[in-house]
Amino acid sequence: MSTPWSQTPAWRSAMVFLKFFGVSVLCGIMFLPFIWMICTAFKSSGEVEGAHFWPELFSPDNIRIVLRQIPDPFTKVFVNLHLAKWIFNSILVAAWVTTLQVFTSCMAAYAFSRIQWRGRDKIFLLYLATMMIPGMVLTIPQYQIMVSLNLVNTYSGLIIPAAFSAFGTFMLRQFMLGIPQSYDEAAEIDGAGHCQIFLDVILPLAKPGMITLAIFTFLGNYRNLIWPLIMIKDAHLRTVPIGLLSFQGQYGAQVELLMSATLICLIPLILMFIIMQKQLVRGISLSGGVKG
Amino acid sequence: MPRLYSGVRERKHFWAAMGFLALNLTGFLIFTFGPVLLSLYMSFTNWTLRRSVDLQWVGLRNYQELLSDSNFWFYLYNTLYFMLGIPFAVVGSLVLANLLVDNMLLKRKKLRLRIANVLIIVGLLTCGFLLVGGQKDLALILGVIYIGAAAGIIWGSVSYRTMLYVPSFASGVATIILWQQIFNPYYGMANNILGELLAWVNLDVDLPTWLNSTKSLLGFLPLPATFSNGGVGLGAREAIMIMGFWMGIGGNNMILYIASIASIPEDLYEAADIDGAGSVGKFWHITVPSVAPTTFFIAIMATIGGLQGGFQFAKIMTEGGPAGTTTTLAYYIYTKGFVEQELGYAAAISWILFIIVFALTLVNWKYGNRKMEAAS
Repeated sequence: MSTPWSQTPAWRSAMVFLKFFGVSVLCGIMFLPFIWMICTAFKSSGEVEGAHFWPELFSPDNIRIVLRQIPDPFTKVFVNLHLAKWIFNSILVAAWVTTLQVFTSCMAAYAFSRIQWRGRDKIFLLYLATMMIPGMVLTIPQYQIMVSLNLVNTYSGLIIPAAFSAFGTFMLRQFMLGIPQSYDEAAEIDGAGHCQIFLDVILPLAKPGMITLAIFTFLGNYRNLIWPLIMIKDAHLRTVPIGLLSFQGQYGAQVELLMSATLICLIPLILMFIIMQKQLVRGISLSGGVKG
Repeated sequence: MPRLYSGVRERKHFWAAMGFLALNLTGFLIFTFGPVLLSLYMSFTNWTLRRSVDLQWVGLRNYQELLSDSNFWFYLYNTLYFMLGIPFAVVGSLVLANLLVDNMLLKRKKLRLRIANVLIIVGLLTCGFLLVGGQKDLALILGVIYIGAAAGIIWGSVSYRTMLYVPSFASGVATIILWQQIFNPYYGMANNILGELLAWVNLDVDLPTWLNSTKSLLGFLPLPATFSNGGVGLGAREAIMIMGFWMGIGGNNMILYIASIASIPEDLYEAADIDGAGSVGKFWHITVPSVAPTTFFIAIMATIGGLQGGFQFAKIMTEGGPAGTTTTLAYYIYTKGFVEQELGYAAAISWILFIIVFALTLVNWKYGNRKMEAAS
């Protein structure tokens, strides 16, 4: 029997070449916006309207203006871009939320997955039901609650409502259910109480789930837009997204400055991506219910 | 005695559970469950942020007003229109995942390095010549493609996956501002490239004005006058959908699909090889049915996300315009609640949104489960 044409070596290597070619071109197209951004960031203000990518002379002036090393040549004042402060705020809020949320979620997940008690499933169902509700439904009364607690325009106002999460509890509960029951039974026979079982048996085994939750929570809060937008009024409390949005409002007409600012604000995110990518990919597969 | 024992034991367990749960449950009641009830209550009142107005129970008035609010129907239409892009993005993710699931396309390391060397030398030469010849933009773009190809050959599909994931990871205020500038009709990248392409094929048509345009691909539909229909063409909504495609195609969905395809048993493909199936046949008859559970998960998440989405794009790029064509329900809730300060009315919209999300998820669930049973 002759081999079908789709399995001949020549055909196969042609397909491999085509794959490489197609995917490489696609990657190039996907990166075009970033290339355009970088090129525009190095153009002079007279040059941005030209149809070409490549700047005539790579001038670092825009970057220096955005980094507040030199003033804006038109207005003779330093621009309102306090990147260090914004990143500090973003990381502060995201780190606090992540720590608190993982802490509260894994304790609750333990109660929902490893302890038998009356009413457990009913309360858990309540948690599940609220996950279906759009965030917008919650945002309005949450804001009202923050107003009455006097937490509007504070760090706590950004951190506290996000420290408790039905999703986090749900995710870690699912993860803990996958740990064999015999482990804690063995520990119980050895005379361990719930605290000991939680700390010594379940927590170490639930670590991958906790790391996944931590990464999702951190990134989600680092780039959160709507809640800080509603809560923050003062310039010194701005997070990166809010700060950049305010910069856009002020300097939206100066494209070269805007692109320099977005370029600079993307750099920390790209660094985070390089650090977290392996865990992130594993976490995404975990949360989608397929083994990676 | 066993019953008494179990009673004591259970009570002990209950208090232990409460100890673990107390913190989370308190937060949950104050910041999630409480707000749910409060929001439901608000939707039946004239609750505003202005202190001068007395709080009044208005019954179903907000909901009645909403159903006769032509803006509400317009913005619902916009939301659903944006969601039409989701299937295309999901199919794109699946195709990409299928291309990138093998770690190494070339198994022999020596061959890989040799090809990569050739690519780098050819790349340097072409780009150098183009640069000297004044074709700097072409050199730049080709250079990026060459780098991508060389990385893909040396490190395998992982480098492609990483590169394709970057747009989705970086998505946020910065990239949305970037796309807003890309779609600028005068100096933006979209019209620069489109203009060059059209000049190249000698076609003389007006370039789209993207974010300033009320046109849409469904502009031929007999829509009500309040829907600001600008005719057939590429408008603000298409611009946002293109950006969404860019952000979504290489993102989490692709990674989910890669994990899912990787777990398909190899012998299914081997059996198909023996039957002489081509790669398209294998994709259609083995891969697609095998990843049905993942598709189902993605469909549910995308529906829920899509119905609540569009806030960021509207807030950053268009402020809902032009003429309301990019306002989604989420952005409508934001403007009603926090700009016009009518929290009661905004709460009513958000509850209607919840009902739509819930109904569609239910349909998805029923229909999707049946489809999956049929497939397996």
